Amino acid sequence: MTGKPPRDEVLGLENLHVTVHDGTATAVRGVSLSVAAGEIVGLVGESGSGKTLTCRAALGVLPPGCAVGPGTISFERQDVTDLSRRGWERLHGTGMGAVFQDPASYLNPNLTVGSQLAEVLRVKQRLPRRAARRRGIDLLAAVGLHRPDWVSHQIPGELSGGMLQRVMIAIAISCEPRLLIADEATTALDVTIQAEIIELLRDLRDQRGLAVLFVSHDLAVIRELCDRVIVFYAGEIVESGPVGEIIERPRHPYTQALLRVASVGDFRRRELQVIPGQPPQVGADITGCRFAGRCPAAIEACRSGPVSLAPLSDVHQARCVRATDPELTADPELTAVPVTTAAATAAAEAAELAAR
Amino acid sequence: MTRTTRRTPRSSVLRLPSARIAVAILAVIVFLAIFGSALAPQNPLAIDAGALYKGPSLHHLLGTDYLGRDVLSRLMAGTRLSVLTAFEAVAIGLVIGAPLGVATVFLGRSFDFTANRVADALMTLPSIFFAVAVTAVLGNGLAQAMIPVGILLVPVFFRVTRAATLEFGRAQYVEAAELLGGSKLHVIRVHVLRKVMPTMAVTTAQAAAGALLAVSFLTFLGIGVQPPAPTWGGVLSSDLDYLNLAPWAPFIPGLLIAITVGALNALADAFRDRAGAGELVSPVADPVIKTHSTLQALEAADDRQTAA
Amino acid sequence: MTAQVTEPPATAAPPLLAVAGVDVVLGHGWRATQVLTGVDLDIWPGEIVGLVGETGSGKTTLARTIVGLIRPRQGRIVFAGTEISGLRGGARRRERRSGHVQLVFQDPLRSLDPDLTVGEIVGEGLTIRGGLDARQISEQVDDALAKVGLEAALRDRAPGQISGGQRQRVSIARALAAGPRLLLCDEPVSALDASNRNYILRLLAGLRDSLDLPIVIISHDLSSLAGIADRVVVLYRGRIVEDGPVSQVFSAPRHPYTALLMASAPSVRSQGDRPLTVHHLRRTAADPPPPDGGTACVFAARCPFAIAACATQPPLTTVADRWTAACHRHQEWGELASKRPRHP
Repeated sequence: MTGKPPRDEVLGLENLHVTVHDGTATAVRGVSLSVAAGEIVGLVGESGSGKTLTCRAALGVLPPGCAVGPGTISFERQDVTDLSRRGWERLHGTGMGAVFQDPASYLNPNLTVGSQLAEVLRVKQRLPRRAARRRGIDLLAAVGLHRPDWVSHQIPGELSGGMLQRVMIAIAISCEPRLLIADEATTALDVTIQAEIIELLRDLRDQRGLAVLFVSHDLAVIRELCDRVIVFYAGEIVESGPVGEIIERPRHPYTQALLRVASVGDFRRRELQVIPGQPPQVGADITGCRFAGRCPAAIEACRSGPVSLAPLSDVHQARCVRATDPELTADPELTAVPVTTAAATAAAEAAELAAR
Repeated sequence: MTRTTRRTPRSSVLRLPSARIAVAILAVIVFLAIFGSALAPQNPLAIDAGALYKGPSLHHLLGTDYLGRDVLSRLMAGTRLSVLTAFEAVAIGLVIGAPLGVATVFLGRSFDFTANRVADALMTLPSIFFAVAVTAVLGNGLAQAMIPVGILLVPVFFRVTRAATLEFGRAQYVEAAELLGGSKLHVIRVHVLRKVMPTMAVTTAQAAAGALLAVSFLTFLGIGVQPPAPTWGGVLSSDLDYLNLAPWAPFIPGLLIAITVGALNALADAFRDRAGAGELVSPVADPVIKTHSTLQALEAADDRQTAA
Repeated sequence: MTAQVTEPPATAAPPLLAVAGVDVVLGHGWRATQVLTGVDLDIWPGEIVGLVGETGSGKTTLARTIVGLIRPRQGRIVFAGTEISGLRGGARRRERRSGHVQLVFQDPLRSLDPDLTVGEIVGEGLTIRGGLDARQISEQVDDALAKVGLEAALRDRAPGQISGGQRQRVSIARALAAGPRLLLCDEPVSALDASNRNYILRLLAGLRDSLDLPIVIISHDLSSLAGIADRVVVLYRGRIVEDGPVSQVFSAPRHPYTALLMASAPSVRSQGDRPLTVHHLRRTAADPPPPDGGTACVFAARCPFAIAACATQPPLTTVADRWTAACHRHQEWGELASKRPRHP
């Protein structure tokens, strides 16, 4: 993705590499992506696929032993790849905010959540004590907490997981960042709460023009929330495009596999799919496609040389030698028509029972 | 948090130089405790009126004491009494205190309560005075004097092993063993014992240091000593009486005591570090949020990273 | 691989496990909370039952109560005719050694002793039971590992040296080695990604088929059980609110909470395909205030369809063959829901 970034680009990664284990292995290879204001972009992939490391690099919080290799990171079109710690501290909270998986572990268990939220406002925005408290309560209301006054006076141990995650989101957006990175933010939540948090993120985008980078291993959640999706495998982007396009016309066999595996919830389809095999070791040296070892459609050409991310259209790219191969795109699982109404469901089931 | 005591090559006790030195010193001390009397260059009891408080010389490597006796020989011979009685006290504390500490976790709330109160009471007694009182009753032998020291070590071992057992005794793998029909004894034997060993090793080394100091102090006071039997504290005590004649003299037994106690403490540190090195911090990859979670997010993320 | 739906046998045969009227209170004094109320649950041989509930629903507590880690304040647990809830001491240990009812814990990292090898862990039940020599135990351990698709070479590894998915399987193997007649799995797949989740679920279904072993799978995600469960039991705040065959419950749930769970689950298909979305099923400010008080329906505070009658907790009523739901309005709320606005 070369060329000038769009005017409202909030986050841009260009050919990003991230090395781990003190530079001995490359865990993220050549990742380029762009998030514009008001966009919700999803990163999906297995554990070890590099999506979390990519986010951490974008936030400037790589764990020890990891470093950015070649590549650039730009925030609002300014290069931040070699930003100093001071620089990152200025950016954190005011430019970009982040929410992670287990909110309870990011909060001091002995202080009320209101005071922790107010602390962020006092430190980052120099608000006086009372104003910070007031604004904190407003923020808690903005993230959908009923009785924000009461919540503000509770310690984390007294609040449920969903409420705590809302508090974390409040903290993350408290200083009006332009980008919110959510790394598996809903993975640990009950399904009803997960649905509410997804709606909250969407509302925040609608109300504030917030750009969101949403990381998850769950393609279904990404489908619910995101405008665009980027599929990671073994440290590389293997496919990216608008979410509807990717779901209906996946061109990379890994994406297709993810879709097959994610298609549950239909009690009639009692065929639970798996993706056989294991992803390669982090940083492994592989000639050719990194998915070839597990790919049902791999051919000679897949292993002979590196496969580049090729554009299939303006908005859709895939890293597959056979991406345009018509044989590959027909997937009977995905073309099954889902039944829409309860009556039709009952009728379909009755027909099926009669057929047995 | 699930801790493992599984040894990794990195976690040998002898990893640190301080531990190696400590073990070497203690090995010498133990050797002396066994063979000290036989290997002493001179007879520790031989009085030589003509060589009172002489400094170190070829004949008397560490000099002589107020009766002309060879200091080196006295200290070597005295090692046995000091060391053995110190270990006697530690043994009493360990043998009584540690099993009780482990058992109390499994024997119900009333037993635990009672045991804790008894431990509390014992811990309020000042050890030296208790020792003095007991020897007044039992007679003036060092072995007798160390019994109260040993008894006062019992609550220390009890408390420490109890705390260590509590950490592991309610673990989920213990529940799993109980669900398979395992008795408490099985649970202790298979799961708990191995995990409290490191803590017990640390406590034993520390208790030995403390007991040795207690021995030195008691013999310094002259309790339990049948003169002219040599003891480290006894040598130190008599040296202090003649400080104006031989100011260097108290340093020798003093250094010996200090080095031995120091070596024991260093060994205790090494045990503790080794237990820490084997720690496997368990990411509780629990997707359903529990309150008071610590470090879960990062560790769960790490767990996902490392899980194949 | 397609799993077959097992219809529960005719009700003349007694259930393998009967939980009757169980109340569980945890904590003491003023901190005591009632975690389960009036739970009635029967498990028949050969079926896979999905026990679904969110945090605080009491599902883990129910599993722990069934295996005897928690004592119910009221009610009984009967397994194959023997009341196991009242057993203590030696009798309880004997019953446990028989291995009849096994629990696979939620977190294998906490439930596997990190200082033991896989072989020792899987064989622990057999070692406790006694009567077998080392070679026989070793054979059984290999057998159990094979059943979960792990190679025997893993026996000498420690839990810290194998992957998360493998640990979960070791945990299952330990339960299998004891020769259970009923298997309870507490959130076996919640910490796994979709592919590993499906693998484990398929594994469990396979075990049910090959060993004729009834399995209770506890989960907080209803939709992940759709492909494997024969029957679904939904828990809300300590009470069972719905219990029925999976095909019926998924086609047309009779309790609004069940419908809410299904509607909340994200899907790769668009929301437009669903008859009911979450917005149909959530309370809004426009709904009348729900009845309050200790005897009210547990779900009333969240329910958009609550009426005055909901001031008393509805009992579990039979709505169809082998299908019960605890809702006063189980016949009419569905239609009311479809009339609600699709978007907030």
